[in-house]
Amino acid sequence: MLNFILRRLAISTVLVFIISIISFLMIILAPGGPNPWGELNPKITPQVKEMFRKKFHLDRPIYEQYLLNMRDLFTGRLKSIKDERPVINRILERLPATLTLNLYAISLSLVFGLLWGVWAARRAGTTADMLSSMGAFALIALPGFWVAYLILIGLVNYTGVPVLGTQSYGIDFPTFANRWLDRLWHVVLPGTILALGGIAVQSRYIRATVLEAMHEDYIRTARAKGLPEETVFYKHALRNAVRPLITGIGSLLPALIGGSLIIETIFAYPGMGRLGYEAVLERDYPTLVALNFIVAGLILLGNLLADVLYAVVDPRVRLE
Amino acid sequence: MIKFFVYGLPALFVALIVASFLNVVMLTTTKKNEFSIGMLGEPSTLNPIKGADSAASQVSGSIFNGLLKYDENIEITTDLAESYELTQTTTVFFENENEALTALLRLEASRSRWSGWQLTSVRLEGNALLIKLKQPGIDASQEIVGMFDGKVPLQVIRVETKEPPGAALEKIRASLGGGKIARVWVEGSTAFEVTVLGSEEEAKAKIAGFLPKSLEPNITLTETQPFLAEPEVLFRLRQDVLWHDGEPFTSRDPAFTFSALMDESVASPRKPDFDTILFVETPSPFEFRVVYRRPYSPALSSWMMSILPAHLLEGKPQEWWVENFDRKPIGTGPFKFTEWKTNEYVRLERNPTYFDGPGPWLDGIVYRILGDQLALRLAFETHQVDFWSVDPWAVSGFEKDERFELFSMPGNSYSYIGWNLKRPPFDDERVRIALAHAINIPEMVKYILYGHGTQSTGVFTPQMWFFNPDVEPFMYDKEKARALLAEAGWVPGPDGILAKDGKRFAFTLITNNGNEIRRDIATLVQDNLRQIGIEVKIEMYEWAVFLRNFINKGNFDAMVLGWALGPDYDQFQIWHSSQANPEQLNVVGYNNPKVDRLLEQIRQEYQRTKIVSMAGEMQETIYKQQPYLFLYVPESTSVVWRDSFRIRRPVDGEWMDTPIEMTKAGWSYYSDWFYRPEFSSKLPPLKEPASP
Repeated sequence: MLNFILRRLAISTVLVFIISIISFLMIILAPGGPNPWGELNPKITPQVKEMFRKKFHLDRPIYEQYLLNMRDLFTGRLKSIKDERPVINRILERLPATLTLNLYAISLSLVFGLLWGVWAARRAGTTADMLSSMGAFALIALPGFWVAYLILIGLVNYTGVPVLGTQSYGIDFPTFANRWLDRLWHVVLPGTILALGGIAVQSRYIRATVLEAMHEDYIRTARAKGLPEETVFYKHALRNAVRPLITGIGSLLPALIGGSLIIETIFAYPGMGRLGYEAVLERDYPTLVALNFIVAGLILLGNLLADVLYAVVDPRVRLE
Repeated sequence: MIKFFVYGLPALFVALIVASFLNVVMLTTTKKNEFSIGMLGEPSTLNPIKGADSAASQVSGSIFNGLLKYDENIEITTDLAESYELTQTTTVFFENENEALTALLRLEASRSRWSGWQLTSVRLEGNALLIKLKQPGIDASQEIVGMFDGKVPLQVIRVETKEPPGAALEKIRASLGGGKIARVWVEGSTAFEVTVLGSEEEAKAKIAGFLPKSLEPNITLTETQPFLAEPEVLFRLRQDVLWHDGEPFTSRDPAFTFSALMDESVASPRKPDFDTILFVETPSPFEFRVVYRRPYSPALSSWMMSILPAHLLEGKPQEWWVENFDRKPIGTGPFKFTEWKTNEYVRLERNPTYFDGPGPWLDGIVYRILGDQLALRLAFETHQVDFWSVDPWAVSGFEKDERFELFSMPGNSYSYIGWNLKRPPFDDERVRIALAHAINIPEMVKYILYGHGTQSTGVFTPQMWFFNPDVEPFMYDKEKARALLAEAGWVPGPDGILAKDGKRFAFTLITNNGNEIRRDIATLVQDNLRQIGIEVKIEMYEWAVFLRNFINKGNFDAMVLGWALGPDYDQFQIWHSSQANPEQLNVVGYNNPKVDRLLEQIRQEYQRTKIVSMAGEMQETIYKQQPYLFLYVPESTSVVWRDSFRIRRPVDGEWMDTPIEMTKAGWSYYSDWFYRPEFSSKLPPLKEPASP
């Protein structure tokens, strides 16, 4: 097992660097470049542009820029072009918001996915099950940003409640509880919308694995023993069926940190996704380099974690 | 146990969701006495000498002050300065002291003309004659200097070196005033400018003598001048200003701000505004003197630049600024910085010791950082931000709604179609004028801006003091357009499209993707021109591609773009014929010697009436030639919840309470005076305005 982990880690490290090179090329070769004052600005002389390019090494050849970025990334000196702050600080200050949002969204999708999956599995083959399947696929297929906008505009038009950011502004909260419920609302709203697709996906997994488990020999044995159907389902079938849920947690790691570009931007939520989105628009190369590196690393780490968890949970699997 | 996971947890989540929702629905809206402003982007920094984005200047504008500012009519007035005085020293150099003395005597003899020249005093210094004038500029000096014989021309020599010149530069400086070197100005670490007496060869040889070969100096002549004209401004500073940390504001602060601006490691985008300055000095703690290298009148407005606190920043390294000042600024303005949460908000609070007036009345300002127009709208409608800049199409919806109040002002921007003057048929003025008659601009304003705009009559916009209101706009007249085109040789061909010498009148109109208004303009132009027999193909490109492949290279027939202008009359970069190279801003290739001359003169002119007449002439000349098809000046409209704010200001020694209003300059200047009506009882007693 240790051997397996070490080998995978070595391969992943090489892979991360290859990914970072490719993504750096994609970023830097895209048209346009960092330009904090806007193009066609009569006040900006070529000398100012030159000073700016020098300051951020943009006048160097591409491979040199890549190496400089990598050096600064590993020594912690990588600085954003936008505000000259260390990129690590910019990432760390957004991490709590993203973690909160994604922890909420992931738990929501697991919890409701389980409920829905169980509900559907117990009614397998009925019209209700078919309708719920259709509903689930519709939810998976609907683009998240579209659903988000519909819900936002509906909420604002019919209830007038604040929907953006992490808290309500301009008002005095009567009690401490009000303040915290207000904060909670600003996580709940984007988080629930973010989780909708996940809930549907999880419910399909659960339904399928539960149904599969129901056909296993040990279920027949349990029934033959004369156990009540209730016990057979919850204790024997479901317990074995939730195994993919546990192993799936590994693959959720990148989503937990990386955040959601679109939902965070729509809800003006101060997380990592919005940082990435704005960095792309601003062509803030150092920030993008760091984000790409971290997310690529997390994806590979998550995959490894999933494999290891699988072996831990299921004794039939051996890692060689 | 497992049943709890299946049923208990979802129930818990549902309870949380419902509770948080009910909480926001039922929250009583006891608003704070705060102004909440929505911004589309995150400020890059709150350090005013670094930030060039609009979000950054919006926020730092409430925290800092300049020596000067624009008043509500967009005219220059004092801010941190109590007053300022403009003068000029014109220095003429002579071959020897005798010639200089002769000139002095001649000048003494014509004392009667001194007041016309605004001449106040004259002084002899070796072989140089120093003439003090009350009004900066070139004209009077030229007239005076014209009377003298035995003048020595001045060669302005620019030197670039491979390494910082160090000791060599010190040697040149040391020989200043020694009869041969008139002036030294350091442009950067490896470039400087020396003004030397004598012929070009002499001057170059003189400078080369100072520089060791190892520096690989590149010595070039910039220009030859008959005299030095050095305008200067003496600012008398207010003595009652305190920084937010309690330290007094003194002349050390603007002097430090200037040195920080010029520091190459800061890479300030505002550096070019200060490049005409020769040096600054602080004669006393409340006097600040700026001497310029040459007359450049727009330079005065650069002192609206926010002033930095020298006592906090002097001697601190750049890295220290980034986390300790750029994100936690200390200023002199009406509001103090309190907190900046990235991607959420910047919060400011009232500065009770603000020097200008008794306000501010608001307890604070919150700048909310939101992503896009829709977010701004959602935030506005849920009372999360207090005003919203409405797009033209949405204005009528708000107009009908009793809950809102709207404020409109013509913006300082215009949209245009730029013709490539280097390509036929747009090199023919008759064709361009015909095209101006062929486009129905009132219709464009009606359908694209929903009526919220006016036809543009040239390079300046109506609310500027130098705008020329007498320029007649070209009227929509298809027949006239046809006649003019026929005169230029364009007659309908077999397919109904105009043709000349077998060539059809067809061209490509380009613009950038993602701007619906520009797309609509292009479509209307296509339709209008189709009606008189001109074929237009529209192409749209991604912004960066559009600039790099087409605009910067001058590779286009015609394009739709717009200018958002600053409040000054200097448009040298846009219209001067020397600015028509790739990557420069005269992309259409406009070239008119008369306009070139006006552009050069207006920058050196300090007299208001002359500026107005030159700007007017420039506007008319350019408009008549139609290098652009000037389309319209859009209005900008803001919407606020009705009666959510009031203005309070002293009138005849009493407080006057009035509804908010918008001035030519928008209302950012009045934000110091806003407060929420429900807080009026906490303010000093007031007098209601008398009914009319």
